[in-house]
Amino acid sequence: MPLNTITKNFRKAYTEFTTRIYDVPPRMLAFLILVMFTLLPYLIPYGRPLREILSVLISANLMAILAVSWDLLVGRTGLISLGHALFYGVGAYGTAILYKYFGWPIWITIPLGMLAGVGIALIIGFPCLRLKGPYLALLTMALPLSVTGFLYYFGDVFGRERGIADLPRVFPGLRLYDRYIADYYLSLALLTICSIIIYKLATSKTGMVFVSILDDELATKACGINVTKYKLMSLAISGLFGSLAGAFYAHMVSGSANPRFFVDPTAILPMENSLVPIIAAILGGIGTIYGPIVGVYLYRLLQDFAFPRIFECLKAIGVTVDVYLQPHIALVAFISIIVLLIVRWPRGIARAIVEWFEDLEEPREVEEILKEKAEKG
Amino acid sequence: MHLLEVKNLTKRFGGLVAVNNVSFHVDEGELLGIIGPNGAGKTTLFNLITGYLKPDSGKILLRGEDITGLPPNKIANKGLVRTFQIVRPFRHLPTIANVLVALQSYRGRRRIEWIKTAERKAMEMLEDVGLSDMALEPAENLSHGDLKRLEIARAMALEPEVVLLDEPFGGLNPVETEYMIKSLQRIHLDGHTLVIVEHKLHALMKLVKRVLVMHNGEIIAEGTPEEIAKNKKVVEVYLGKAI
Repeated sequence: MPLNTITKNFRKAYTEFTTRIYDVPPRMLAFLILVMFTLLPYLIPYGRPLREILSVLISANLMAILAVSWDLLVGRTGLISLGHALFYGVGAYGTAILYKYFGWPIWITIPLGMLAGVGIALIIGFPCLRLKGPYLALLTMALPLSVTGFLYYFGDVFGRERGIADLPRVFPGLRLYDRYIADYYLSLALLTICSIIIYKLATSKTGMVFVSILDDELATKACGINVTKYKLMSLAISGLFGSLAGAFYAHMVSGSANPRFFVDPTAILPMENSLVPIIAAILGGIGTIYGPIVGVYLYRLLQDFAFPRIFECLKAIGVTVDVYLQPHIALVAFISIIVLLIVRWPRGIARAIVEWFEDLEEPREVEEILKEKAEKG
Repeated sequence: MHLLEVKNLTKRFGGLVAVNNVSFHVDEGELLGIIGPNGAGKTTLFNLITGYLKPDSGKILLRGEDITGLPPNKIANKGLVRTFQIVRPFRHLPTIANVLVALQSYRGRRRIEWIKTAERKAMEMLEDVGLSDMALEPAENLSHGDLKRLEIARAMALEPEVVLLDEPFGGLNPVETEYMIKSLQRIHLDGHTLVIVEHKLHALMKLVKRVLVMHNGEIIAEGTPEEIAKNKKVVEVYLGKAI
């Protein structure tokens, strides 16, 4: 049977199913995926692999929040940021500093860290939003780098390259594995809540104005809209959620291989943390809000599971790759895979999947096909 | 008191005087045309009036209130609204959302009422220009003629006192031009004041009562369309001097 006919039959069956029996909108799909991730800790045997998988997923969830906040700012408002790690860093250092010097509990320091993120967003927003396109991008790229320099210069306060150590955990009472599971659920809940809030906002009337600024700033002004106000709003919201991710990172992930939790500049503010949101958003579908989540998961899947396994397999068949060379080879392979995926789905994988499902949902399409068939005889 | 008054407006770009000491006024309910060859400074004049450019000297008064140097969004909210010569739609948004963005500025004043009525109002705006069928279509799928009409709908959503239309007939075919003339006439009959910059003299002359002619940044003639058509200076500017 040719592929074309198989697809048609599948579509027909699916449409029958959705129209007669049960409707499966993309929202339902998202819910099913969420249920799958909720059950995940019970599907994996209790032990070291569980810990490994969960620690990757926890940081992936937090990174996804950062990527989603990046997408609101860049994909929806058109303000290009190449230094989103800044908010991650401000959130993490904000909560860490407050804990170290005032000894406050984390349910006070984390919100204050988020407020610091909003504050920084507004402070850099007032002068920087006068810049556009590549100029803004260059400036935002420089910001995390200069903050790193700042952290080293005031090393007595920020602890230099060793950072701030002995941070409390979110669930201090629990033992190792239980703590991983609890952290995982919290990060999953945070990701779900944050992305729903950002998605609702992006599709609201305010989000509509964000997109109009992305499309045409001059015309938005002609509509009587204070463009600067909306740009600052977008930046502040993005900073709020970005620093939320950073603040939880400090108490959940940072230095998790080490018994003592700590934040340090190389863990919080590397170029990677600015680049992953961008790669994830482009991979998943820029401006979709849900795309970056898919992108981050794909990124971590490749980086933390696929490539180490491939190198192990290579070793098993006798090809030993030097440990120091492995990350570089992985990076080249990773970039190649991304390029291939983007060439195939230029508007993002997640968007392509959702559009595919929306296509399937259209009952008219099948009717039209059937009509065409009948006309042809 | 005139509705819109422009006094001795001047704008220089380096050595070039784009708008030179221009003064004119628009009265309530008027339909004024501004014509002139390429590079006469018509669009610059619009940019100056609507706040996209800051004038070097001169004043702009709306109902006697000085609006010179205000940012474009404030001027738009005061009731002086413009459209663009080259269409500037929000391509990623549906057609109806393009109008909703313009309705957004009412939100601060009457929030609850706005949320209830905005969509219906936007739909009415689209119906007025004949775009209601395309309401949910992304604006990037619209044809040039539709986008020109969308510009008008977006401007009208701000409930303006004066609308400055920058070449509303640019790039339209004869049928679309005819439709646009009718739309503008209806808007005018609804009591809106219009200022139209245009190249297509034929379309413009049908529409307006009073015409200003610009050349090299200056106003060289003013009068009814018939007077302008006979004016020697104007003919010279458009066709060149008789040998």
